[in-house]
Amino acid sequence: MTDAKKSEVLQGTLDLMILKTLHALGPQHGFGIARRIEQVSRDVLQLNEGTVYTSLLRLLQQRWIAAEWGTSENNRRAKFYSITARGEKQLAVETENWQRISGVVGRVLRLEEES
Amino acid sequence: MDDGRIPGLRAFAARVAGVFGSRKRDSDFDEEVQAHLQLLADRFAAQGMSREDAAAAARRQFGNTTMLQEDRRELRTLTSVEDLGRDVRYALRSLGRSRAFTAVAIATLGLGIGASTAIFSVIDNVLLEPFPYKDPGRMVFLRIRDTARGQEGERQGYTSNEFLEFAEQNHVFEGVIAASDDVVLYKQGEGVEQLYGADVTPGTFEFFGMPALYGRVTQPADYQPGAPPVFVMRHKTWMERFNGDPSVLNKTFVLNGRARTLIGIMPPRFGWYEADVLIPESPVRGVSTGFAGLPARWFLLGRLKPGVSKAQAAADATIIANHLARINPQDYPAHFQVLVKRLGDTVVGRFESTLYTILAAVGLLLLIGCGNVANLMLARATSREKEFALRAVLGAGRARLVRLLLVESLVLAISGAALGVLVAWGGLKLIVAAMPQNLIPAESVIELNTPVMVFTLVVAVLTAVIFGLAPALQAARRDLNDPLRDSGKGVINGFRTGRMRDTVVVMEVAVSLTLLIGAGLLMRSFVALREVHLGLQADHVFETQLPLPADRYKTAAHVRGFFQPLLARVKAIPGVVDATESSALPPYGGMDSKMEISGKSHEEEWHTQLQNVSEGYFRVLRIPFKMGRAFREAEINDARKVAVVNETFVSAFLCGEDPIGRRIKLAGLETLADPVSEPWFEIVGVVADVTNQGLERPVEPEVWVPYTVTGSGEQILLVRTQQTPMALMNEVHQAVWATDAGVALAFPGALEDRISQSLYAGPRFGFLLMTIFGCLGLILVTVGVYSVLAYATARKTHEIGIRMALGAERADVFRLVIRAGLRLVTTGVAIGLIVSLLLGRAIEAELWRGVKPYDPATLAGTTVLLLGTAALACWIPAKRAARVDPMVALRYE
Repeated sequence: MTDAKKSEVLQGTLDLMILKTLHALGPQHGFGIARRIEQVSRDVLQLNEGTVYTSLLRLLQQRWIAAEWGTSENNRRAKFYSITARGEKQLAVETENWQRISGVVGRVLRLEEES
Repeated sequence: MDDGRIPGLRAFAARVAGVFGSRKRDSDFDEEVQAHLQLLADRFAAQGMSREDAAAAARRQFGNTTMLQEDRRELRTLTSVEDLGRDVRYALRSLGRSRAFTAVAIATLGLGIGASTAIFSVIDNVLLEPFPYKDPGRMVFLRIRDTARGQEGERQGYTSNEFLEFAEQNHVFEGVIAASDDVVLYKQGEGVEQLYGADVTPGTFEFFGMPALYGRVTQPADYQPGAPPVFVMRHKTWMERFNGDPSVLNKTFVLNGRARTLIGIMPPRFGWYEADVLIPESPVRGVSTGFAGLPARWFLLGRLKPGVSKAQAAADATIIANHLARINPQDYPAHFQVLVKRLGDTVVGRFESTLYTILAAVGLLLLIGCGNVANLMLARATSREKEFALRAVLGAGRARLVRLLLVESLVLAISGAALGVLVAWGGLKLIVAAMPQNLIPAESVIELNTPVMVFTLVVAVLTAVIFGLAPALQAARRDLNDPLRDSGKGVINGFRTGRMRDTVVVMEVAVSLTLLIGAGLLMRSFVALREVHLGLQADHVFETQLPLPADRYKTAAHVRGFFQPLLARVKAIPGVVDATESSALPPYGGMDSKMEISGKSHEEEWHTQLQNVSEGYFRVLRIPFKMGRAFREAEINDARKVAVVNETFVSAFLCGEDPIGRRIKLAGLETLADPVSEPWFEIVGVVADVTNQGLERPVEPEVWVPYTVTGSGEQILLVRTQQTPMALMNEVHQAVWATDAGVALAFPGALEDRISQSLYAGPRFGFLLMTIFGCLGLILVTVGVYSVLAYATARKTHEIGIRMALGAERADVFRLVIRAGLRLVTTGVAIGLIVSLLLGRAIEAELWRGVKPYDPATLAGTTVLLLGTAALACWIPAKRAARVDPMVALRYE
């Protein structure tokens, strides 16, 4: 299952990435979200695309996103997800959190290297 | 970001919602996944893959859909709830397969839960929530206790002055009301009927916050001088005397010679003062005469202000009482204390501890029942070892197995609770029938209600945990391989379950013995109570109170004018042996009076019971004389100031002196409406002690004087008869009406019946229920001991076969099993005895004086009973074991 060259997606990060994707691109179906993450991560992240759906359900339960049935580009019925106002707020909070934490983690790692 | 595994409130709500309509969602999701896979496959195909390769690559990239589906389900719904439904269905199926087990378990639990529910209903309705009034918890009454005399020196009746003083000067009550006895006579057909009435002070009905069922309650205007006279009737009286006829409302009745309009009927649960009729009356300062010429006594009831404690109320009332004591020193003991008691304390008193003792007994019974079911479950779990091992091997977690078994227990317990409600419903009817009515508040209605049902449910769940957890943990703890590997009937296996079952039996025996000892002690106590000599012969005595109309009977001469011809008429009735007048009903003495003896000086106040009688009194009740003589007829007729005293009087006040001829002053007679001036009496006789404070308390000094000295006091007729006393009821009634058609018989009956009702009903109720529960416990334990031994013997058939093949005799095998059984029982008995001795104090309050909680006869008797029954339970499995054919047993493997 694991690929040494690719990183496992941290639990929770996927949620954040999906929120950000929906924020940037507007309503998307699951396939579209998977493509976007694939494209942005440039194949660095290993992603079982199915986990996107688990993440989507989690976000739905928190009412950070909403879902609606629509028609996909190949004319099939597909569920389209869009970010809610509550989700936007959460995204802002989480983004700031993430940046702070990653900043701290980065500094800690650099310190380790220097010493 | 929020970790999905610890859902917030919102996610939890979504999950709860997700329990419903899960099929639709699953198919939606499938569609979504299929679409995704298709799009991926299309993409790979566009890159030049074959269709199969593209589909495979798409699936690879998407990941495991089954696992995804599982993840989703776990996330989306409360898995436990979905599984619970499955577990319940499984439990029902599995229980349905072993019908006998299920039936025994449910019956046992139903019995235990039913009995607890019934007793809890009684406690809830009698002790916890008996009063339907507004804020009954804050209703209190006051007692003045003479600290020198303790409980005997308490009073709770107050004069009008005292009532007004307490009502107006206190700082702790929101409101104070009072009621006072008023015997009410009213014309009904040819004769007169009597009702037990109460004069109630202004604001009484507002105080209780209860509107009338029909009509209205009294209003402030009804208390104004000159207002049209009215009264209110109790529901019970209305039903019994008037068959619930609504037309009596607003009719006018002549009560005690005064026309009053019936303005309202109270709801069934209104029972204040247990009065048939409630008559508005404003206490007036200085007016102190109540019914029968006795000093008026108001019983006070106050509602504490919110946040005021009983101690604060007592402190405030003490200030008022001290003030009153300075004004009327004769009404107050030298040293006294004001007690504040809750409304519920008026009636329940000692019965409360009886009820709690019974509740404890029922709890123990339930515990034995739980023990039995736990043992059955353990036995069942042992035979299901393989099933569980298989489940575990197939991936069921330990928690999952424990849950499965707990769900089974719960299903059993809930079914048991359902049966228990039926048992309780039937049992309550029996209990209410056996219940001593005079020991519970008139307001309480005993029924199954919501709190009781909640109690049952809680008990059922607790029960399930108690009897289900041990077998469940046991089943889950075992090593997966063992049961699958061995054949299950070896020589040494099952040791652990065996020890667990043994522990349960030992516990059951111990609890059962405790229960039996409790029942035995109460039985002993009851027998001892019955053997207490009242000092009089209560059988074949007819009694009736004869309240004389106060307007026509004021003086001693009036009263004598009624009783002299009446006693002559009654004595002439065929079948009547003798008849007498009395001012008190045994086993209670008369009024309390201060007393002095000429030539004796003393520091403290002397008190005595004082009763007015005619010359036949000691003959009718067969009270023997120790010294001197009885009253002569002439002394009664001439109202001579002579007295008869009891032995306690002599030993208390005239120790070692000759009482005959001594002169005593009975100051209490000066305070009557028809007072006796210079109440100095000469002692002419001494009688043996007669119970005059009920059975519980020691006999107090008592003095009897001729009833002709005063027109005040209660009038009672006692008649000794040859046949059943009640057979003469009509003749006595005729004799009374022939003497005065305006006099009614109040509370006519047999003296023996009333004594039995008032003295023995409470203890009898306690011991009866305890005995029933004790016997049920014994039966359950017998079943428990039997089933454990039978099961162990069945499992050891192989071992027994080997023993016998190696030369053991049948008698040896028999002894082996009996010994194994009795070892458990004796261990249980030992523990039970220790526990009973430790718990002895708890039941001591329930026991009649003289019966000790370690009463050797009771301990020995119950132990022998239990051992004997247990031995019988061991007998059958032992016999069966001894019959084992070694060849068959060995070949069986």
